Amino acid sequence: MGGVDVDSGGGKKRATNSDINMIPFIDLLMVTIAFLLITAVWTTNNRINADAQVPGPPDPNKELTPQTPEKVLNLHINDSEFSLVWKQGSTVVSEIKVPKNQVEVGAVKTIRYPDLAKKIEEEWKAQGGHRDPSDRKLDQCILFSDNRTPFKEIVAVLDALYSPKREIKFPDGSSKKLPVFNMTFSVR
Amino acid sequence: MDHFSRKHHDPHAHVIHKPGKRLMHGIRLKYVWNKVSGHGRKGVGAALNLVSFIDFLVVTVIFLLMSFSASGEITVDKNVKLPKAENVEDIIDAPMVAVNGNQILVDGVLAGSTRAIEELGRMQKIDELFAILKNKRELWKQLQPNKPFPGVCILQVDQNVPALVVKSVFQTAAFAGYPNVSFMVGKIPSTKSE
Repeated sequence: MGGVDVDSGGGKKRATNSDINMIPFIDLLMVTIAFLLITAVWTTNNRINADAQVPGPPDPNKELTPQTPEKVLNLHINDSEFSLVWKQGSTVVSEIKVPKNQVEVGAVKTIRYPDLAKKIEEEWKAQGGHRDPSDRKLDQCILFSDNRTPFKEIVAVLDALYSPKREIKFPDGSSKKLPVFNMTFSVR
Repeated sequence: MDHFSRKHHDPHAHVIHKPGKRLMHGIRLKYVWNKVSGHGRKGVGAALNLVSFIDFLVVTVIFLLMSFSASGEITVDKNVKLPKAENVEDIIDAPMVAVNGNQILVDGVLAGSTRAIEELGRMQKIDELFAILKNKRELWKQLQPNKPFPGVCILQVDQNVPALVVKSVFQTAAFAGYPNVSFMVGKIPSTKSE
């Protein structure tokens, strides 16, 4: 028998000590553990962000001021290589080619492109426009792929694209490490 | 019973007799105790400290309660085999669009065919998907008129679905008012040391 000892404070008050039966107590704990183990979620899924930039009609009340277009990374998935092209408007700022060195990871052979991730990080350090922690805007990347490219290859490229991260400060004072790029698909 | 013959059977005779020999009558309780405790050898049973046992159970219960998810498992279409990635974010509550080799489903409701898109060979707006997502958006706005619409939807796309289908679904979702599209993936352990 287990006991719960609470000081009664003396006097002629009714004692507050009470015994609890250990057997139903242990049974309760066992049943709780069994229930929680059965209902536990062991496989967790996550997500990869993308952003479809759908421009709306311009506000007729606002006067449009011409702005310098930002540099945008155009990532082309070709058959044997990737090409990383930085464009400012229609002007090509820089262009490099990265060979398609595919690495398969794990038993299910997940495709990964570590060389591409490394090159994207280098390119962002050289050309990226949003680096300050207080700047919450991300650099934009447009993904160009063949219509027959399987989705797992697109995800592998997105994984490489989201590999470089930077610290971003929020108005409440907190900071978080987020990917440097925001991605959208090219529409052709 | 042997004392009574069938001829002189008296139904009113006393039938309770002095007990005779019983099985294991001569075995003493001490012998049983020794047998159980192993006759001086190491016994099979072991004493368990109840305090530490209950501590262990309580810690297990607390751990399981803290990791318990009341929202339940997010259902993934059984025909969808998700790709895996390392640089991922936590899943959020949003409409689910499942795309497998044949069908497009929104929260389990059929919203189009992937075969039709593949046969056409070019990007297109999927009308059924557009209508369902637009209805969901309008319903959300009616239920929460004072909040800005987040425009987030999650695509569960099979890893072998071609890019043409993915782009068509992506653009249709964007046109229906869901420009913040996320792709559901499995997580692979991080290889970077941070």
